[in-house]
Amino acid sequence: MHPLNWVIIIGWLSYVVYHGISRSKGTKELEGYFLANRSLPWWAVGLSVMATQLSAVTMIGTTGQGATDGMRFVQFYFGLPLAMVILGVTLVPFLHRAKVYTAYEYLERRFNPQTRSLTAFLFLVSRAMSCGTIISAPAVVFSAIFGWNLWWCVALIGVPAIIYSMIGGVQAVTWVDVKQMFLIVGALIAVVITLLVKIPASPHDMFVTAGQAGRLRVYDFSFSLTNTYTFWSGLIGGTFLMLSYFGTDQSQVQRYLSAKSVDEARSSLLISAYWKIPLQALVLLVGVLVFVFYQYHRAPLLYNPAHERMVQAADPETYAQMRTLYDTSHVLIQREAIRAQALQMAARITGEPSNDVNYIIPRFVIDELPIGLAGIFIAAVIAAAMNAISGELTSLSTASVIDFYRRWVRADAPDAHLLIVSRSATVFWGLFACVVARYAVGLGSLITVVNRFGSFFYGSILGVFLLAMIKRANGAGAFVGLIAGMVAVGAVNFGAPKVSFLWHNVIGAVVVVVVGLAISAVTKPSNPVAPARQPA
Amino acid sequence: MGQSTFKKNLVRVMAVQVVTLLLLYYLQYIFTP
Repeated sequence: MHPLNWVIIIGWLSYVVYHGISRSKGTKELEGYFLANRSLPWWAVGLSVMATQLSAVTMIGTTGQGATDGMRFVQFYFGLPLAMVILGVTLVPFLHRAKVYTAYEYLERRFNPQTRSLTAFLFLVSRAMSCGTIISAPAVVFSAIFGWNLWWCVALIGVPAIIYSMIGGVQAVTWVDVKQMFLIVGALIAVVITLLVKIPASPHDMFVTAGQAGRLRVYDFSFSLTNTYTFWSGLIGGTFLMLSYFGTDQSQVQRYLSAKSVDEARSSLLISAYWKIPLQALVLLVGVLVFVFYQYHRAPLLYNPAHERMVQAADPETYAQMRTLYDTSHVLIQREAIRAQALQMAARITGEPSNDVNYIIPRFVIDELPIGLAGIFIAAVIAAAMNAISGELTSLSTASVIDFYRRWVRADAPDAHLLIVSRSATVFWGLFACVVARYAVGLGSLITVVNRFGSFFYGSILGVFLLAMIKRANGAGAFVGLIAGMVAVGAVNFGAPKVSFLWHNVIGAVVVVVVGLAISAVTKPSNPVAPARQPA
Repeated sequence: MGQSTFKKNLVRVMAVQVVTLLLLYYLQYIFTP
């Protein structure tokens, strides 16, 4: 890659670390470090919410999915706007007015310490693992493309994020998120413009090419429990997933707890409600246009350059034959069949999974984008990864300190002591995520992996928060309901593995509420505090 | 955010989504054989 691209990448990384540290003012107390003294404007919080959810997986995995599978992935987000509006009138005011640090803290006030600790523990487990896969996605790709050791790639992404999250807390993370969101959206728009210029066809013809290959097929109105990407899975399963993620996951809750007021917290969520689907459509459109680009230009047979080199070295004759066939064929089905054969060959020779969806966009960026823009796009991929990780590191640190250390170990510890523990926890979780990232390589399609980790617990945790808003529910009901919900999701996952993980959230939430209410009806109220009501 | 603000936001958010989804449907309908 041209040195100017490296200058841009290193320059951006240095800038965000400097900017994050310079935004650490006012973080000498716990509330400043974890909640930015509840002083952030709604638009910054809103952009940070979007930035935390948009990871490098979106930049390379989702765009790659756009190139190979078209636009239908956008259906996954159809439930998000509705979920945001529902949260604006339910959990957001509850949590913001309760003046809590974590969502789980509220559960102790409403139910009991066991329910709080179990939900916080489940959050720590699932988030720590997913944080690792979020670093892993771009690290694996960079390692194959630049030929670097995987540890270096993990460090390139993980270390800057750990540094500014550790020093500046939520305030630094939020303001860095804001800057990086502009970089990410700007890079995506710049790539779309470049593609429109470089493809030797009119926009109408480009859409015809994409449409004929099925890449513009967005909607699937069939009702299927086994297909993740249908209108109904997205609308119903997606609503429950988004309610769980934005309403009960500390990495998101912490963002809007740092807003100035309840109204500002609600407004921040509405930014996602308005912009998430258009942004996701833009991300997929990049992939679709890259697919069109390669209909007019010579496309790689294998997008993973490391695999390509190994296959060429192991069986140069067969590879050359396939390459010639691929280049001379103009029928899409034939070309896809040849590529499928090449991928099988790569899997046989390398002994690794052959799926190279995550390599399509990075390969296009390195080979085809003009000098400078390639650097900006790679910086945007790293920025997306850092946004997601930094938000998660601060939330992991907050849950560890507030829900475990301060709750069970040192309830009377002064802020200065808790701050040291919090910073140490941020570094610990950052290093943990880096180690997971190093060994997450063999886990398969990264998008699915990230979502799967969460789906085992998300729906059940949402069920507990729904119970918290029902007056009759008590602590015993919530705790038993939570366990029943997870058992039900586990049973569905192993008993009917074809059921899409999007439905796990619906199943988990419904089972927790039903079992929780049944147990509450036959047990005495154990709640030491007032039942669910909007805190004053 | 009272009941009326919620309804107003719901209507606005849904209006934006309906326009986006119709645009995507238009792309699919026009260009997919």
